[in-house]
Amino acid sequence: MKKLTLIALAAVIMMIPALASAQVTATGTLSVTATVNGSINLIFNSDAAGVALTGSGTNAATLAFGNVSAFGAVAAGVVRTTTATTFTVSSAVDVNVSKTNSASANYTLKAQLGAADATNTWQVGGNTVTNAAAATITATGAYAANSNFPVAITVPFTTASGTVISNTINYTATAN
Amino acid sequence: MLRTHNAIRILALLVLPVAASVALSAQTTASGTINATLINKSAIALVFDTDPGGVTLVGSGTGAATANFGTVSAFGPLSAGVTRPSVTAATFTVRTIFDVQVIEGGLNSTGYTLTAALQGGTPKGFNFAIDAITLTGAAQTIQANGSYNADVPHNLDLIISTASPTAGGPNTGTLTSQTINFTATAN
Repeated sequence: MKKLTLIALAAVIMMIPALASAQVTATGTLSVTATVNGSINLIFNSDAAGVALTGSGTNAATLAFGNVSAFGAVAAGVVRTTTATTFTVSSAVDVNVSKTNSASANYTLKAQLGAADATNTWQVGGNTVTNAAAATITATGAYAANSNFPVAITVPFTTASGTVISNTINYTATAN
Repeated sequence: MLRTHNAIRILALLVLPVAASVALSAQTTASGTINATLINKSAIALVFDTDPGGVTLVGSGTGAATANFGTVSAFGPLSAGVTRPSVTAATFTVRTIFDVQVIEGGLNSTGYTLTAALQGGTPKGFNFAIDAITLTGAAQTIQANGSYNADVPHNLDLIISTASPTAGGPNTGTLTSQTINFTATAN
């Protein structure tokens, strides 16, 4: 009887480390799914030679020419030319289009005025833009590079002093 | 003999409806005894729950759920519950939040350790991270002292290369899947 008790005691003692080291665990599996699509992004950057843009580095910037006239002083970054009946002010504006997950070699950039302007003439990169249809600015834009497409407004001498000229130019880049 | 048979038939026809009505009205009872033996065992269980700020998990409330990010891109729109915390020239990250709940019973443990590991190879152009800890095929510790019986939110990040598919980037326009294995261990 005594021998049996000792054996049982020894068995219990041997089990104690095993009980202490046993880990209690639980498991789970989380499946993750996603579909990646290619995309491109357009931002405006201030050009070193042009007017500093408000909102530079974003896709919604503002180009303020300030006070302009045919013969008076113009703000820094504004370039002016005159004819017998009009004057044109322009500023360098950088457009930067980046691409991701795409093998596209380049992009087409188009621009269109947000509202009609029957008085003044608007140009982007030397191309006249109106609100009637989008004008192609470039058909082979280089990705991930600042490309300067100057914005110019031609104003007739007949425009009354103090007239505010304002419009929106909508740009669209399309991967080729 | 024939007369005796007819008598039995008549008697049987008379008896049968009576027996049927008795059967309809009587309560049917049965009894039995089960001798049950219960061995109380300590255990923990892990379930995934949808977080209010994340995508809705398929299989929420179970230990085998699916988080679908939907269509993702560096600049395009994202599904509800998916955010894009960073976009660099090399990668963009999309994130969702999911909850892990570890349920404990019969233990003196005050917390658990949560580890996670990728199952199989990583899809081309992808990296996975939970709470900013990049996952590999080996178990990584996500949390060292999780609280039992409560939803614990975790950020799940997909870090995706911006390269084109032909330049080492992820395949585009096709569903990519990855399984993450989680283990909770009672401390």
